[in-house]
Amino acid sequence: MPKIFLFIAVLCIVACNEGKNDNDGPTTAPAAKKQSLNVKVEASHPYAAVDLSPMDMSYFPVDYPHIKHQLQDLPLIRLIYSRPQKKGRTIMGNVVKYDQMWRLGANECTEIEFFRPVTIQEKKVPAGRYTLYCMPRKDHWQIVLNKGLYSWGLDIDISKDIDSFTANLTTTTTIAEYFTAVFEKTDKGANLVFAWDDTVAKLPITF
Amino acid sequence: MRFFVMLLFVLATTTTMAQSTLPAVDKSPMDMAYYPAGYPLLKVGDKATEPLLARVIYSRPLKNGRVVFGEMLEYDKVWRLGANEATELEFYQNVKIGNAKIKKGRYTLYCIPSVNKWTLIVNKETDTWGAFKYDEKKDAVRIDLPVEKMEVPVEALSMMFEKAAKNINLIIAWDTVKITLPIYL
Repeated sequence: MPKIFLFIAVLCIVACNEGKNDNDGPTTAPAAKKQSLNVKVEASHPYAAVDLSPMDMSYFPVDYPHIKHQLQDLPLIRLIYSRPQKKGRTIMGNVVKYDQMWRLGANECTEIEFFRPVTIQEKKVPAGRYTLYCMPRKDHWQIVLNKGLYSWGLDIDISKDIDSFTANLTTTTTIAEYFTAVFEKTDKGANLVFAWDDTVAKLPITF
Repeated sequence: MRFFVMLLFVLATTTTMAQSTLPAVDKSPMDMAYYPAGYPLLKVGDKATEPLLARVIYSRPLKNGRVVFGEMLEYDKVWRLGANEATELEFYQNVKIGNAKIKKGRYTLYCIPSVNKWTLIVNKETDTWGAFKYDEKKDAVRIDLPVEKMEVPVEALSMMFEKAAKNINLIIAWDTVKITLPIYL
């Protein structure tokens, strides 16, 4: 129950913020200031406001930080991304345009770290940290791993692309208000699952 | 009327969310700070004059009208210095904190707040949650830092890096308390 109140509170805060520019557009806006949730920021302080598209982290094994002391093992994958909102808009083909690079998030580039080598669609990917971005097509998403790091928006040096992979799409009846990226366990590894609006994309990873 | 429409929208959306298994947005959203400050935007604008030296990933609880230190958070107990996932401090080169040499890599930050000073803890156990499993044996360094009081409170826990004469500082501010951690390169 408290979770629901919390969610309402967040929505109300966000609703009050309507009318400001959004920060989740698929275009590059290097000079754009980060938009923020309506949390009071004193002009006398230099500290950053709380982001409108908040950052989040997903691990595989799922919820690793909570269970690491039972596992006695290193995490396999960590994803750091920011979560733009649907806010009543149609996402695919509208906010996220087909056949145009999309940052798979907001603000800082989406970062994935493999703590050991993995295989994605029969291609070996060395352990390490990568930027992840997307080329959304109508019937699938092309997910690209890039060796450049710590960039913003879509300012990605495509000469540093490592490889690209196909994520299959399904349409759901439940709507994801916030862009969401999580891992789910499979027989041979994990799926990296992206959900936003009524679209779910799955990228199988094996290890 | 507008409120009523909004309420309906909220209820509808909440129901939708409740049906799905996707994680909700955190009450204390995550954020990142860099040295140089705002590094990704500097880089994109070709304005970065120094390489990336440090990054902190932390979650930002809100004051929400509460007195944070000494009331919501007990003095003299290890605090996670954030919320949710443990706060991560990463160095992209070797640095020095206090008398300790800190190798480049990822660390977890904790602190023990008290009235006039904080003990800041840099610990080697990463990818953890809260301070529930904090293990002193994995400390890389502990350093005592004076508390600076501010007149105007800061609503969300905030961290930022700044350049100083001979070092860089990690500033940590929440409510009316401010701490400065000097990091030497």
